Amino acid sequence: MAQSSTYNPALSGNPQSATGRTYPNGNPDLGYNPAGVRNTDSALPLHRKGAVVHNYACDGPAPGNLGFRWTYGSNVAAKNRDPRVQVVQYNEDSFVLRQNVCVHWEAPFTYLLFGNAGALLIDSGATADARHYPLRETVDAIIARWGQARGRSRIPLTIALTSGEDVAQNQGLVQFAGRPDTTIVPKPLEVMKRFYGFGGSWPSGTGRIDLGDRVIEVIPTPGTHKDGVSFYDPYCDFLFTGDLLFPGKINIGNDSDFIASLERLKGFVASRPVKWILGGHVEMMFVPGKYYPRFATYKPYERVLEMGPALIDEAIQYAREVKGKDMMLIRPDFALFNGVSPDQRTRVWPEGVPKIDPPHPF
Amino acid sequence: MDRRTFLTYNAAAAAVPLSSMALTGLADAASAAARPAPLDFKSNLPAAGSFPEKWICGSPSCMDNTDPPVQVHWYNPHTAILRQNKAYSYEAPFAPLYFGNDRVLLLDEGFVQLRNDWDLRGVVDQCIDDWCRRNGRDPASLELLVAFSHLHADHYAATNQFADRPNTRYMGLTHEEMVGFWGMTNFPEERVTLDLGGRDILIWGSPGHVVSEFAYYDSYTQILYTGDMFYRGRCYISFWQPWFDSMKRLIDFCDTHPVTHVMGCHVEISRDGQDYTYGMTYQPDEAPVEMTVQQLREAFAYAQTITEPGIYFTGTVFLCNQTRGTTTIDKNPYRYS
Repeated sequence: MAQSSTYNPALSGNPQSATGRTYPNGNPDLGYNPAGVRNTDSALPLHRKGAVVHNYACDGPAPGNLGFRWTYGSNVAAKNRDPRVQVVQYNEDSFVLRQNVCVHWEAPFTYLLFGNAGALLIDSGATADARHYPLRETVDAIIARWGQARGRSRIPLTIALTSGEDVAQNQGLVQFAGRPDTTIVPKPLEVMKRFYGFGGSWPSGTGRIDLGDRVIEVIPTPGTHKDGVSFYDPYCDFLFTGDLLFPGKINIGNDSDFIASLERLKGFVASRPVKWILGGHVEMMFVPGKYYPRFATYKPYERVLEMGPALIDEAIQYAREVKGKDMMLIRPDFALFNGVSPDQRTRVWPEGVPKIDPPHPF
Repeated sequence: MDRRTFLTYNAAAAAVPLSSMALTGLADAASAAARPAPLDFKSNLPAAGSFPEKWICGSPSCMDNTDPPVQVHWYNPHTAILRQNKAYSYEAPFAPLYFGNDRVLLLDEGFVQLRNDWDLRGVVDQCIDDWCRRNGRDPASLELLVAFSHLHADHYAATNQFADRPNTRYMGLTHEEMVGFWGMTNFPEERVTLDLGGRDILIWGSPGHVVSEFAYYDSYTQILYTGDMFYRGRCYISFWQPWFDSMKRLIDFCDTHPVTHVMGCHVEISRDGQDYTYGMTYQPDEAPVEMTVQQLREAFAYAQTITEPGIYFTGTVFLCNQTRGTTTIDKNPYRYS
């Protein structure tokens, strides 16, 4: 058979072309409601009489998906008109919020989790000014809407940070000052330890934040920040690692703490299922080992946010390699910076990793 | 026009025949007759002028920036200095626009390409219209020269916006075209004079940051425009010896010519000498763009003591000697032991 030299996007894994598909506008012979559509995992009964109590116990991770592309800024940042806070609902009780890249280049992710007795906001964004970054307004709106759906009028909110000292994650806290029914985990390290009940056991042991049948575990993970913690959600099987492990340029604050924390995480996930690790930022591109520089306001080729749990092992392996040395090291899904400037560059390319230069957007 | 013709048909050399040729057209002759007396750019030098107290310098949130895409500052009635908005490009380069009786010189075209992203062409046209209105000229009678300080994209990105502009020449994006544009045969030592119509611009080679770079001296305001080779921030020196020789040429020039200000393309440093990291889009307390000859001399004196690659602060600028790809100034603030 003669080989066709015509470019077929479907064969190359690029099915963007609607006209190239058999049914560019959908197959009319399929029903409007494919199998399973009425059997969603909705926690909402059709005719409820009181507040809905959701059963958070489930086999395996709770279903959900991050089905939207993250907003990625624009070539001319001043002209960006994306939402200031992008809200993606992972499932009915879990929300992922992202700050607009053109409001702040760090574009941190913020997580909002609900349980039967309250809500938890993990991290608070990089901008204090609510006119630029209306986090409080957005969170209030989500909570109000969720409360209506669940028949709850009172939903206590806890706000916890993956690091109290990180200015890319603690700036939005001021917006919540004076908010009724709100507990803010204190920022100073000692007070924070007391709050979680670590006492003298820091950095071993774990703390708990009980949202009502959904108990979030708090794991001390200093390393990039001296007051770093990670959170484990047993409902979605997510590990929220903030700045400790994320697809980007990981600036190590203390290398022995960093390795110890990763090992603690490894031990922790050995006894619990982990679907994804979700960090606080995305700086890598979708081509391996390439990342956006700091202050970039246009990041069209971002890697996805979620990471597999196997990445912990890789991080440990290469953290050991940079331990005690002032150097940076590139891996396909992250880059480690130990004792060097966050803008450090290197000519060393990891062996066996394809080196692909994505096209330069103008 | 083929490439060979283009190179020989340089702007500086073509200046005289072009203006006399223009008189042959009937309409041109009429407009020339109505033309007011030429402006005098040769007496009472240096022409007085001023820099702004504060340039537009970005904003904490880029998408909330309400500044214009380009700030236009009239240094004096015949000299405009443009600055790109930091929320349009973090490079935020400065671009002088010099007016003469016959032509206008634009040096540098910013770091955004498309006209619908930022309308540099419109801004420059507006400046030319304003100047012509003030001086009773016809904008169509002025030739625009679109040139740039050196061959880096943050200085020529918007050149194409001028491609279809009538009565305009623009510099090509190769070393040969750049040197040919000014009619140089002995780069970088040769110094040529561009006549804007009574206003002389002296141009010579200034390699070091890149190979293809010029220094521009305006004999009217006596501003020495040094591009990226010497500016208030991190002077990335790719080639030490050519850079040092270029500095020597600048010093020699200052010894023999009056210079009011030395002006670079960027500002990356605060008034108190703090470094604004590469890529920052908000510089609330940035230092002035203009420098004194004394500061240039101090930097040269400092440079004479430099023997190793590395980053050196002269008190005015950072000299980043062959460090671009390996190290930067700032540190991880969250380090602890």
